[in-house]
Parts: sequence; structure tokens; C-alpha cells
Amino acid sequence: MEFAELIKTPRVDGVVLHRPFMPTVEGTLCLTGHHLILSSRQDNTEELWLLHSNIDSIEKRFVGSLGHITVKCKDLRVIQLEITGMEECLNIASSIEALSTLDLVSLMYPFFYRPMFEVIEDGWNSFLPQNAFKDLESMTDEWRLSEVNKDFSLCPSYPPLVAVPKDFDDETLKKVATFRHGGRFPVLSYYHKKNGMVMMRAGQPLTGTNGRRCKEDEKLINATLRPGKRGYIIDTRAINVAQQAKARGGGFELEANYPQWRRIHKAIERYNVLQESLIKLVEACNDQSHSMDRWLSKLEASNWQTNVKEILTTACLAAQCIDREGASVLVHGTEGTDSTLQVTSLAQIILDPGCRTVKGFQSLVEREWLQAGHPFQQRCAQSAFSNSKPRHEAPVFLLFLDCVWQILRQFPCSFEFNESFLVLLFEHAYASQFGTFLGNSAAERARLCLPEKTVSLWSWVNRPQELERLTNPLYEPNSLVIWPSVAPQSLLLWEGVFLRWNRSSKCLDEAYEEMVHIIEYNKELQTKVNSLRRQLAQLETEDPLLHTP
Amino acid sequence: MEFAEHIKTANVEDVVLRQPLQPPSRGTLCITGHHLLFSDREESDSRQVLLLLRNIDAIEKRMSGSSGTITMKCKDLRVLQLDIPGMEQCLNIAHSIETLSCLDCVSAMYPFFYRPVDLSLPEQWGLSSPEMHYSQMKELYEKWRLSTVNRDYSVCPSYPPAVIVPKSIDDDTLKKAAKFRQGGRFPVLCYYHKKNGMVIMRSSQPLLGANRKRCKEDELLLQAVIEGSDKGYIIDTRSMQQAQQARMTGGGFESKSFYDRWKRFHRQMERGKALQESLIKLVEACGDESNNMDRWLSKLENSKWLSHVQNALSTAGLLVECVERDGHSVLVHGSEGTDCSLLISTLAQLIMDPCCRTMEGFLGLLEREWIQARHPFQQRCAHSAYSHARLQQESPVFLLLLDCVWQLWRQFPLALGFSEALLLRLATEVYASDYGTFLCNSDQERCALEVKERTHCLFRALLRPTERDYYSNPLYERTELAIWPSVHPQSLQLWKGYFLRWTQQVRHLEEAQEEIRNMVIEWGKLARS
Repeated sequence: MEFAELIKTPRVDGVVLHRPFMPTVEGTLCLTGHHLILSSRQDNTEELWLLHSNIDSIEKRFVGSLGHITVKCKDLRVIQLEITGMEECLNIASSIEALSTLDLVSLMYPFFYRPMFEVIEDGWNSFLPQNAFKDLESMTDEWRLSEVNKDFSLCPSYPPLVAVPKDFDDETLKKVATFRHGGRFPVLSYYHKKNGMVMMRAGQPLTGTNGRRCKEDEKLINATLRPGKRGYIIDTRAINVAQQAKARGGGFELEANYPQWRRIHKAIERYNVLQESLIKLVEACNDQSHSMDRWLSKLEASNWQTNVKEILTTACLAAQCIDREGASVLVHGTEGTDSTLQVTSLAQIILDPGCRTVKGFQSLVEREWLQAGHPFQQRCAQSAFSNSKPRHEAPVFLLFLDCVWQILRQFPCSFEFNESFLVLLFEHAYASQFGTFLGNSAAERARLCLPEKTVSLWSWVNRPQELERLTNPLYEPNSLVIWPSVAPQSLLLWEGVFLRWNRSSKCLDEAYEEMVHIIEYNKELQTKVNSLRRQLAQLETEDPLLHTP
Repeated sequence: MEFAEHIKTANVEDVVLRQPLQPPSRGTLCITGHHLLFSDREESDSRQVLLLLRNIDAIEKRMSGSSGTITMKCKDLRVLQLDIPGMEQCLNIAHSIETLSCLDCVSAMYPFFYRPVDLSLPEQWGLSSPEMHYSQMKELYEKWRLSTVNRDYSVCPSYPPAVIVPKSIDDDTLKKAAKFRQGGRFPVLCYYHKKNGMVIMRSSQPLLGANRKRCKEDELLLQAVIEGSDKGYIIDTRSMQQAQQARMTGGGFESKSFYDRWKRFHRQMERGKALQESLIKLVEACGDESNNMDRWLSKLENSKWLSHVQNALSTAGLLVECVERDGHSVLVHGSEGTDCSLLISTLAQLIMDPCCRTMEGFLGLLEREWIQARHPFQQRCAHSAYSHARLQQESPVFLLLLDCVWQLWRQFPLALGFSEALLLRLATEVYASDYGTFLCNSDQERCALEVKERTHCLFRALLRPTERDYYSNPLYERTELAIWPSVHPQSLQLWKGYFLRWTQQVRHLEEAQEEIRNMVIEWGKLARS
């Protein structure tokens, strides 16, 4: 087995581990193909099991023959290992470095992981497009499920099945696909039951400098409009960025060719800018200088909160067009795989109570992120600590989760899941034993045979014991549209992720548990009261003596 | 009655009231000597808004045609707007509000007129007295005594008639020591740490002056405090430089040569005007509607409010460290000893002493440290963040305390017996109240005006069963441990419940808390039945 070549020293004794807010542990360090394990072989101390793929960067330092390795993880945790012996330390460090940066997907842990739990429901089959379409069919007959992309040839980043307007045959779709970036022709993302309006998403139109047009594309999106109604195109780029895109063959929908659509430009940051924002934010959070001014200016300079605000604002705009204006919406940026998905998925959380349940949210992530072709593997290859030059990395999904957290915080009773669920998704998007977030598209996932060879995250999550931990005790279904406040004053830093390892959450966790306990007990008592009432009513009807005065 | 001359128009019909979080409503406006009363005309679900005129910090009027608009900015940070038909009526109303909201005469204030039917004037005003407090602390008897040297307020006008001092120090020594401290505030005991018998004392600055006067009696008094221990600490809430400069104006600090067993720390805490300006900037930032994240964060930073919170908590942390970890007694003072000294001694007690973390305990603590030890409430809270009046003595020291307590509550949600709602209520009451608790600047003034005979006490009202239920923390579980707050800037947050109280999003959070509270109450009922 090839991992063995990378592991020069598989085990070292007497290693001391320092973790934030946990007691120091001394024990044996073992390296396996996928894990860094530290065990003290004492019953009461917690072991450390760390996936190599969770390691973002390591630093080594020597004081005499005592080596210090600082391991910085993608989930933003920082731990320290003290290893005696220079050679051991160097070996361990270089092994970790090699193992944590393996590029080959098929060597990743999900392919080796065997579940230690009983799979009740196979997550790979939980959210198939055809099932989602059945729900749609119950509401409208204006859409059909097209198999035009069944071999991924038309659009490599789309799933095999997509929902398109009923009257458009696959031939037309093929023509439209040539006019959209990456073949991402407009498809249905959300149907608003209340008024029949829809949200679609696509890649940018390839108008180029000479203003190319595509009649089929125009017809396709016009087909979603009600007679006499206008629709909105939300372009997630600033107007000048969209203009510049023309020079590279891209562009935007010209008013002349799409007279029934009003185009709105919203600037959402992309790629490197977002990655740098994350790096700066995490750096600010770990700043030890103890100066309030410094912290607040670093927070401001990171621009992270601004990014959160811009994304939420755009999502609110999309939701507003649909719900308040009663208009259909098409969302796109350049590729339509990043900011576009942030907007369409957040708009659904605002509009659709179904997306605020545990299952509904999983389904949303599956539909709008995994099947919609967000390139998870590229975007989440490195996190905030990496020293390597970022290529395709960008915390697009993390920003989405942050936005969801903001809404959840503002509407604490409207979500069936709690913050832990969002944190869990963040962790697994970056490093996981499950195959869900592997690959960059449905096509890649099919090629890797993930459903056959790996376990789905949803299989693990959708078991009673996990669900219990992830559900919000305050949940009360709220069928209304929930409009989050996007005023800067209303948006908070997501402490649960960014300050998670810098603060002791013991007291907060205790309070949360206490609250859960109170609510549970309250429910129990309610049931008791109800059953006693029933018994009393029964006795009253059965026993005639009770009626005589 | 004298209010009448300020009220030219007492009633106006067809007024539109706009208030945050609610749709505008149309109705009748009345002005009385102390209140602004608005009742809307809806037959079915009629709503009334009763606002203490005292709560109004600033008003702005704008005329357009024959009608006018009055914007009222309240001390509880609410902003209300009245659309009044008729220019003359509008001007009259504005004039009445302007005059009546800042009447200076204390005995004309509403607490002297507040007579709710379900409440008779109390036999005892306040929760406790220095005498009662001393009598309950048996562990003090051996080394400490209750001195009534100040019974007629002649030794120190700002102290209560009875104070706790070392047993070995007689009243004559106290009198001499008092002359050596600003305003006569000689060192008195404010907290006894049962775990190790160490104490927190507070006082004002010693009056060294430029020629370095000394006072044997003051030295003796402090010597007696650390009898049997190797040393004590002095926490001066001014920077070294500020303390040096104070000598020019007759003040100063305890010099090493005369107080050789005392080790002095200087921790600069902002006070007075700077603090008031910080509040004004913060409130301005919170009301900023430019919708720009950078602007909000730089304004927040610029206001320095969170730095003041951090500073207060970390200085209190230092105090706790001296007493609890290091096991030594501490004397706290700044200049007057009526602002920052109280702030940090209060916080330190909350951090160390579980008895101060219950609702009674906390209110008792406020009574001892702020009412009896004299924080000049009337001067400090005359105006809040909106006033255009030139600042005089205003300073939100008490609000800063409440913010710090809120930070503690947020970091230790189980450890405090009261909830955020209590802090919000106190933050409102301190600026405008039906009760007499926060009237006047000292005990002496309170006696002169018969506050204790003629007004109701807020703290007692808050402890009535219904109120107590409302303000208690459903998650409370007593812990004997000290609750050490994290003072990392990353751990401290803006107190949204107060500063953003009148914006939409805080509402949903309140609803969630309300939900839990209801559940606990129901639970209690079910458990009893």
C-alpha cells in the first residue's frame, strides 16, 4: 500500500498535545494513511482523531531537541504537538504534510471508511431529482423533467435530470446550452406555490463583444412569464464586471433582446477576494493583542461581514421580486456555480418554510449546491491557514452557511435545525469520512461511483441519535416568508465557527442543554396533563354518580 | 398648580403617532404635568401610550403648512414622532414638552406624585440599610465595626450615616482621615470575601497636594485593614500620569514611602464627559441608516464604547484576582470615588460572590454600592445620548455597569438569577422613573427631600412576586465558583438588547426568550398542582 511510503515514523511515544480549552494530554502519536491519532491509553482522557484532510497547514519549530508542531486545521482549530527527538519530529511533520495534501480523490478517506452504524436510509437515494420533481408536479404542470443531459455531454456541471418549461424540446435546449457559459442553460431552481412565480438560474449568456443573440434562449426564459408581466434578471456582478466579461465572450442579456426583463446588477465578491477575506477574518479572530480597536478594525478590514451582507441583500432582492412583486426571476453571474447558488438557495430559505426543516435543508443543499454543480473539491481544498497560493479555493459555501446562521439567529423559532447542523456541514465540506462533498459535479461523482463506494453524510445524519442533537428545541413551523434584517447593525460575527476555538463554550453549552431540558420536560408534562384530562372526561361520562349534585 | 402655566394646550385631537415597530396610529394627545398621553381612536382594540416627559431627551419640531411634526428622542433610545394639526397647537405642545421634560426641581418630579392603588407607601424604603447589612454579616464582628460617625452627614456628605470600618479605629481617627480624602470619603469596607477573609475597601483620592502632605490617621486606618496579612493592593482607576497631575489640584495617590505595605496599580478608566461622548457616538452609530458595513464597524470602533466595557471588566478582573487568587485586601479609588470605583467594586462582587448573583442579591448590591455609596444619579443621568444641551455632569457610568453585567450574563447564562429584561428595566428607570430610587445625588439630599417617605422604592417593587417572575432567569443554577469573564475583544459584544432595542430584529429574539420564560412558568404551575 502506497500510504506506507509516506509514513516514515508511524508512532512516537511521549508526545504532548495542547488543545484550546482542554487539558494537556500526553500519549502515543500514531500516523495512519488517513488519521493522526493521539492516545494516552487512559480511560478518562479524550483521544485525538484527526483526519489528515482536515489539516490546512503545519509549522515546526525546535527548542533544543524538543520539536513543536503546530497543526492548523480547516475547521479553524489550532493544536500543538510536542515531540522529543529531532528526527522523529521531522519525520512526523513531513508525513503529515505529504498525507494532508494528497491530490488523488480515489485515495481519500471516504473510499476507505466503513460505517460503524446501521444505515436506516441510504442518503444517496434520499434526494433524487425525480422525487423533487414529483412535488413540483403536484403544484404545476408547466414544467417537465428533461433527460437531455443524461450523459453530461450538454452541460458537464448539471445533473442528468433538470426541470425546464414543458413546451421546450431537448433540441431547443441544446441550442440554448451553446449560448450559456459552461452549457448552463436556464433551469428551474424554485417554484413559489403562493403565486406560481419561479426562480431560474443559469450561466452568463455568451453575447461577446458583438452582441450575439440566441432566439431560443429568449423564448425559453420568456416562457416562464405570465402574459403582460415582466421578469427580473439578477446579475450577481457589478455592471462594469459584466461589461468586461464581454471581451472574454461572456456578457449579459441586452434590453433590446429581452424587453420583458429588467436587469439588476448586484456586486457579490468571488474567488480570491473571498478567500482573502476569510484568511483576514481568521487572522483577526486569532489576534491576541487584546486591543478592542485593533480587533474591530481588523474585523472591518477583512470585509467578511460586508460579504455576508451583500449576499443576504441580493437573496432578499430575489425573494422580494418573487413574493412581493409577483415576478419571475433569473439569477446568474459568470459561471453560475457560486454566487448564483448563494442567492437562489438563500432566497428559498426566506420564501419556503419547507427549506427550514432538517430534511428540507438537506434537500436544498443537495439540489442547489451538489447537483447544481458547485465545485466543492476545488473551493474547499484549502481553508484559512494554508500557505499555498490559492487557486480555485473560495469559502462560497461557508458564506452561504453564515448567511443561513444570520437568518436562524434572527428567527430562532422558525428553523427545525440548530446552529450545530450548520457547523457540521461546514466541517464536512472541508474534510469528511463521507463521500457527499467529494468531486466537483454530478458528473464527477458518477464517475467516481461515490454512491457505491462511499457513505453519504445524510445516511449518518438522518438517524434519531444524530437528529436529536441537530434539531432546534424552539422550532415551531412558521409558514410565512421570513424577511431577515440586512442592516449592518443586525449582522453578527458567527462565533460558533470563527471564535469556536478561542472561547470556552462550556457555559453556553450548559445553558443550551438546560433549555433543551426545560422544553423536553414541558412537553412531557403537557402530554401528562392531556392524558389526565382525557381520563377525567372519560370518568365523568362513565360514572353517573359524578353528575348527581 | 405650577405645571399648568407650562401647558397652554392640554389636548389635541387627530394627532398621528409614529413609533418604532408599530404602525402609525391616529388619536388624541394629552399633556399633563408629568406625562404625555396618547390614546388612539380605534373603538375595539384601543391602545394608549403613556410616556413620562422626563424620558424625553431632545425634541425637534418641523412645520409644514398648517401642521407640524414633533420628533421626540427618548432617554431609553426610542424615537417617537407626532404629527399635529394646527401650527399653534404644535408649537404649544412642543414648548410644554421642552419645559416639562427638563424641570430641575426634584420635589416636583413624578415619583412624588406616583400613587398606584395597589401599592401603599412603604414602611421601609429600600431593601436594607448599612445597619441591617452589618448585623447579618456575623463574620465581620470580630475585626470590623459599624461606625455612626457620619450620622448627621457632617464627616462625609456623600456617605450614608453608618459605615463599616476596622474595629481598632475610633471615630476621631476616622474624622481626621476623612479630612485627608476628597469629599471626606475615607476608606470604608464594601465587600468581605468569606473564603479567605480578605476585603474590598473604597474611598476617594488622598489629598496629598503638591507638597505631599501625609495623614497618620489615614495610614493607620489602612494599616488596620491589612492587620495580620503581609500586604494589600491599591487599585487607582486613573493612569499614573493622571494621578500625578491630580496633585496640582490638591489630590494625589498613596505614596510608597508612607504606605509601604500597599502595592499600587494604575488602571486608566474613562469617566465623565469622555464616557458620555462615547455613548452619544455609539447611539449615533446604531441609528446610522447608510446600510454600509464598513461605516457601521468603524463608527462602532470610533465610539470606543466596547473598549470601555472591556476596560471596566478587565479592571474588575484584576480586583478579583487580587482578592480571590492572590488572597489580599484591596483599596479602590479614583478621584471622587463615586463613579469608576463603584463600577469595578460592583463588578468584582458579581464575579466573586454567588450571593450577589440572585435577583435580591443583585438589587441589594446596587443599593449598597450605588444608592448608599452615592453615585450622583441626578447629575449623571440628567440627559442621555440625544440631548443637545451642553454636557455638564452627565456620564453613563451606571449604563456601562449594566452593559458589563450583560456581558457576564451572556458568557455565563446559568450563573445569574435575573435576566436581560431586568437590566433593560434598570437602564430605563435610571433615566426616567415612577420610583424615587434614582432621585437625588446622595443620601443626604434624599433625606432633605423626604424621598424615603414620599416615594416608592423601585427595588422593592421589582421583588413583588409577579415582577420577580418576569425578571428572573429561567435557566438560573447557583454556582459557588467565581465567574471569570473573558475580556478578549473578540468575546465582547454590543449589547443589542439595549442599543438596538427599537429595531425589528431584536424582537424575534425577545419572542424566543419569552417562549422559554412562559414554559418555565407553566412548568412551575404544573409542578405545584
